[in-house]
Amino acid sequence: MGEFKVHRVRFFNYVPSGIRCVAYNNQSNRLAVSRTDGTVEIYNLSANYFQEKFFPGHESRGTEALCWAKGQRLFSAGLNGEIIEYDLQALNIKYAIDAFGGPIWSMAVSPCGSQLLVGCEDGSVKLLQITPDKIQFERNFDRQKSRILSLSWHPSGTHIAAGSIDYISVFDVKSGSAVHKMLVDRQYMGVSKRKCIIWGVAFLSDGTVISVDSAGKVQFWDSATGTLVKNHLIANADVQSIAVSDQEDSFVVGTAEGTVFHFQLVSVTSSSSEKQWVRTKPFQHHTHDVRAVAHSPTALISGGTDTHLVIRPLMEKVEVKNYDAALRKITFPHRRLISCSKKRHLLLFQFAHHLELWRLGSTVATGTVESMCLLAVSPDGNWLAASGTSAGVHVYNVKHLKLHCTVPAYNFPVTALAIAPSTNNLVIAHSDQQVFEYSIPEKKYTEWSRTIQKQGFHYLWLQRDTPITHISFHPKRPMHILLHDAYMFCIIDKSLPLPNDKTLLYNPLPPTNESDVIRRRTAHAFKISKIYKPLLFMDLLDERTLVAVERPLDDIIAQLPPPIKKKKFGT
Amino acid sequence: MVAEESVRVVRCGGSELNFRRAVFSADSKYIFCVSGDFVKVHSTATEECVHILQGHRNLVTGIQLNPHNHLQLYSCSFDGTIKLWDYVDGILIKTFVVGHKLHALFTVTCAEDSVFVIINKGKQDIFQLVSVKLPKSSSQEIEAKELSCVLDYINQSPKCIAFGNEVCAAVRDFYLSVYFFKKKTTSRFTLSSSRNKKHAKNNFTCVACHPKEDCIATGHKDGKIRLWRNFDDDKKYTYTCLHWHHDMVMDLAFSVTGTSLLSGGRESVLVEWRDATEKNKEFLPRLGATIEHISVSPAGDLFCTSHSDNKIIVIHRNLEASAVIQGLVKDSNIFTGLMVDPRTKALVLNGKPGHLQFYSLQHDKQLYNLDIIQQEYINDYGLIQIELTKAAFGCYGNWLATVEQRQEKETELELQMKLWMYNKKTQGFVLNTKVNMPHEDHITALCFCNAEKSETPTLVTASKDGHFKVWILTDDSDIYKKAVAWTCDFVGSYHKYQATNCCFSEDGSLLAVSFEEIVTIWDSETWELKCTFCQRAGKIRHLCFGRLTCSKYLLGATENGILCCWNLLSCALEWSTKLNVRVMEPDPNSENIAAVSQSSVGSDLFVFKPSEPRPLYIQKNISREEVQWGVFVPRDVPESFTSEAYQWLNRSQFYFLTKSQSLLTFSTKSPEEKLTPTSKQLLAEESLPTTPFYFILGKHREKQDEKINKAFESELVQLPLTENIPAISELLHTPAHVLPSASLLCSKFVNSLLLSKETKSDEETLEDTDTEEEKESDDSDEENDFTEKILDTNNTDLGEDLLYQLSKSEEKELRKFRKVDYSWITAL
Repeated sequence: MGEFKVHRVRFFNYVPSGIRCVAYNNQSNRLAVSRTDGTVEIYNLSANYFQEKFFPGHESRGTEALCWAKGQRLFSAGLNGEIIEYDLQALNIKYAIDAFGGPIWSMAVSPCGSQLLVGCEDGSVKLLQITPDKIQFERNFDRQKSRILSLSWHPSGTHIAAGSIDYISVFDVKSGSAVHKMLVDRQYMGVSKRKCIIWGVAFLSDGTVISVDSAGKVQFWDSATGTLVKNHLIANADVQSIAVSDQEDSFVVGTAEGTVFHFQLVSVTSSSSEKQWVRTKPFQHHTHDVRAVAHSPTALISGGTDTHLVIRPLMEKVEVKNYDAALRKITFPHRRLISCSKKRHLLLFQFAHHLELWRLGSTVATGTVESMCLLAVSPDGNWLAASGTSAGVHVYNVKHLKLHCTVPAYNFPVTALAIAPSTNNLVIAHSDQQVFEYSIPEKKYTEWSRTIQKQGFHYLWLQRDTPITHISFHPKRPMHILLHDAYMFCIIDKSLPLPNDKTLLYNPLPPTNESDVIRRRTAHAFKISKIYKPLLFMDLLDERTLVAVERPLDDIIAQLPPPIKKKKFGT
Repeated sequence: MVAEESVRVVRCGGSELNFRRAVFSADSKYIFCVSGDFVKVHSTATEECVHILQGHRNLVTGIQLNPHNHLQLYSCSFDGTIKLWDYVDGILIKTFVVGHKLHALFTVTCAEDSVFVIINKGKQDIFQLVSVKLPKSSSQEIEAKELSCVLDYINQSPKCIAFGNEVCAAVRDFYLSVYFFKKKTTSRFTLSSSRNKKHAKNNFTCVACHPKEDCIATGHKDGKIRLWRNFDDDKKYTYTCLHWHHDMVMDLAFSVTGTSLLSGGRESVLVEWRDATEKNKEFLPRLGATIEHISVSPAGDLFCTSHSDNKIIVIHRNLEASAVIQGLVKDSNIFTGLMVDPRTKALVLNGKPGHLQFYSLQHDKQLYNLDIIQQEYINDYGLIQIELTKAAFGCYGNWLATVEQRQEKETELELQMKLWMYNKKTQGFVLNTKVNMPHEDHITALCFCNAEKSETPTLVTASKDGHFKVWILTDDSDIYKKAVAWTCDFVGSYHKYQATNCCFSEDGSLLAVSFEEIVTIWDSETWELKCTFCQRAGKIRHLCFGRLTCSKYLLGATENGILCCWNLLSCALEWSTKLNVRVMEPDPNSENIAAVSQSSVGSDLFVFKPSEPRPLYIQKNISREEVQWGVFVPRDVPESFTSEAYQWLNRSQFYFLTKSQSLLTFSTKSPEEKLTPTSKQLLAEESLPTTPFYFILGKHREKQDEKINKAFESELVQLPLTENIPAISELLHTPAHVLPSASLLCSKFVNSLLLSKETKSDEETLEDTDTEEEKESDDSDEENDFTEKILDTNNTDLGEDLLYQLSKSEEKELRKFRKVDYSWITAL
């Protein structure tokens, strides 16, 4: 492959915002994630956890609650007092409606999915009807003294539980009046000065209300009598989030210490039908507050201030132990945030609310404020390939300004595409780690692409976590394709034989003392380098110069607020 | 009189109490613990040993209450038997012969007539849990050969097996096996055992089952406790982690209701996890030593912990230690050797780290610990601790000298000598003088001048720095002239040789100090060098003066295996012999000197008088291991062995300690007689705690009884008090299983209650027995007439024996007089 002069760029000062809410949709197996800057991302859990949609946020639109309603409609509410519905097709905001209750702290969709409940700063709980194209205010519940921080519907839709400061109220939906007011013990490590904030409630179908609060408690209440049934003190800091599985046999809570606890309903003895809630496993995948958790049928999902989205599969729910059963940690967006001008040696960095243009070799920075755009790649000559969010890739003829052809649709979304300069071959990477090569002039897949599809990719290639975010080509060697994801950078040499499952995929460069014969025999099409990570961007400036943009995680953590200090044994 | 059997080497107490979990009786009044070949029954209230259940011929390895009769106790042993005891009376009821070496015993309520034992089958490391069917039979010794395997390839330790509701859990290495009695299947749950840092210490160490719920608690090497649930489903099983211990979890126990879990380990802290939640835990810290076992009383009011320093602590439900049963501490190196406290006649040796323990040989229990180093002991690997290296008693137990040292590097020696005075008021030793660096180098020997006439207490220390120092007690500069302290009086040396031993003659006039190969004799009045002996036979290892008639002799044993005897009057070598002496101890009450020699096959004992080169008594192969220390302990009551070979045992008893720290002695008695019931058992019932409730109700009742009695006395004919009727007392005081059938007793019993002329005759018989009893009580006034019936029958036998033996003993005495050599009178 030869040697390159490498620009190892580490000045891309990108800090992802902390995760504020996650909402899981069971029907479409999609996960909506909102961040503290108002960004909303949608992950497709079926397509290898690919971040397929993205709504840029705005400082004035910090979301506090996010939920899915009937018909795959996504709503968010925030401290600016507005309820927003997102248009998942057009990828923009459909409308925003003020709830007139001050900042909104919580929101919940009714079990049937047609009603929306918001809890406001002024202590009011408002019921809104979801109409096919909008939402409509229906009525107010009895106003409480302090802000409503959490809401949960009883699965039958007759009652709701609302968590406030120092107490939990249970409302009858029909009358709108509070049935019970359950006071929470303020005491925290023997000190009862601080107020006890109910960060989350969950209403189970047997009438149990589970609350999590700032004193580190998980409490079980009987909503019929309004009494405390059981108390689990699990943390020295706030317990900030709770999510219950659909079967109501397990739930998950997240704490400010970065720990996620799993609770399970287990039978007391094998013979009796009596069951009890037991705290089972703790997971420590976060360093900072776990602000949001979700419970999918097969996994626990958590996100927090440390900006990681962690998906931890439940081993007992996984049928086969394959790579899907492994833990996922998503930190960087699955799109390219950097573009590069090869001739002028310029790098364009995309931030949440601005762009930065850097000249390689100099330190002058220029900034402009623009909004973002969708995935589109233009070739050198006269072709344009565009990929929507769901359909296949369309190839347009730029000169005639008309559709040339459509690449056959594939189940998994496209993560990156590029057109080779000389051959006009379109290279497409999908979220399931498949790579296709499509000849635009001939309107069909190339021979190489067919062989690799026939033979299949190496299993280790398919097990990679992060999608390919960028594809480029060597200007002088048409047989080479350069592509990278966040943890590796690969050069595919189409002239060499393909690796099968028995060969070593991640072969480091063979030692020089080995004979050329062995080297040639072990050589295969995939040359992989893992020295740069996490790699956000990599491209060839010219045939001898490479630019690599890294963003070390330590640099991001250094810019986050400090985590809660915990005593570590032995220090 | 004791029939003179051959002298045997016997174990004399000090056995491990912490070998297995202790067991509580159903009413929590007693606690049972294994102790060598015996089972000891202690009262939980008074800590006193109530009974010793003897009968096993090898180490007892498991004890359990009989689940169907809580007044009975099962025990199993390496001798292959399971024995059933009546612990209230201390009687063996039945013996089941299993045949295999039994490693542990378990009983389960639901199993009708079988118990579970761990046996070793075939190979060294393969153990099985088997259930043993105990056949019902009236005979005393029953064969129990019906075994059925429950779990194979398990850990040998009983801590790794637990029984729960219809399940049996066993742990070994990295997996937990659960056997379901109903389904008759076994599930196995394995933890990751990879060598990387995170999972390297996942090994299971112990297991406990929840008494009510389907929950298994397991302890691990890294200090974690896992609570397993849903284990009847191979896929959906789940566990919770509790982590506080930083080192291996040694044992786990659930409380009776299962609401709390107890755990312990090397931190010597008992942790109570309430509701099995991590945040809700209580501690009982500073228990002194590693917790080896935890057990819970069936009544739920008491816990107990067994510790590595051979101690059992009984703990109240509210985590307050209430009683300590302390055996001989064995887990440290013995540097001080064996000593006898002249006051208490207790054996004194190194105990807990930094402590001297005073151990009563008669009662087989520790009397007290004396903290010498007086520093917090930090238990960690690789730390160099202060060691208590030397100790000596002087002036009839009025003074105690101790030496402690710590050496981190070659050149950095920390040395401290402490002198302790006995305080009569507090009945303990009080620190009087502390000397920092009494010598430049290690102190090799330490001795007091124990002569009767000496007016100032004198202490001599010998050191490797080539000096010996004489320390005397002087008036401390106190204005009241009351304080005393020790100061150095004289420093002696001999050609810069290392001083290795020192010894005062019996009258205190001479001091012998050995400098490597040379023995020097000093006048203790003027500290003048009188003479030297040199045999050029290697460094002197032991040095001692002869006693009584042999006080003119000095004995020295060298490293090259030569034992020399010098005559101090002629200043010449009297005799020498080739003997590799390991231990040389003079008997304080006679001229005898015991020497233990070491050879490749074992250790041999020689008892001799310095005046005669020929030994009085030789016993070959007293122990296979190396004998490290020995001591003569004066007897309270002298024995009267007539045969010449055993006469050396008349006034003192020789105890010795082997390398594996077993304390052994010589005895002629059969093992059944050996442990005399010294203080016949104050029972728990008699020492009931006087609670406020007792004061209110007990006194009240007494008064009421008095009133009623008065009322009845006036009205009724006098009834004989039930206690006075022998038939009734017989009936009530005899254990049920030795009573004849009720039909035989009935008539007698009814007759005894009749108010007729016959009462008189009854009274007569009563008087008869009384007189007999009086005789008996004269003989042994310590014995309690608790089990009257047995005593009665014994008494009659004994009485006959006495008559018969009196004449025989007279004969013997006569014979003895004839034999005794009165030549020693002329020597005086």
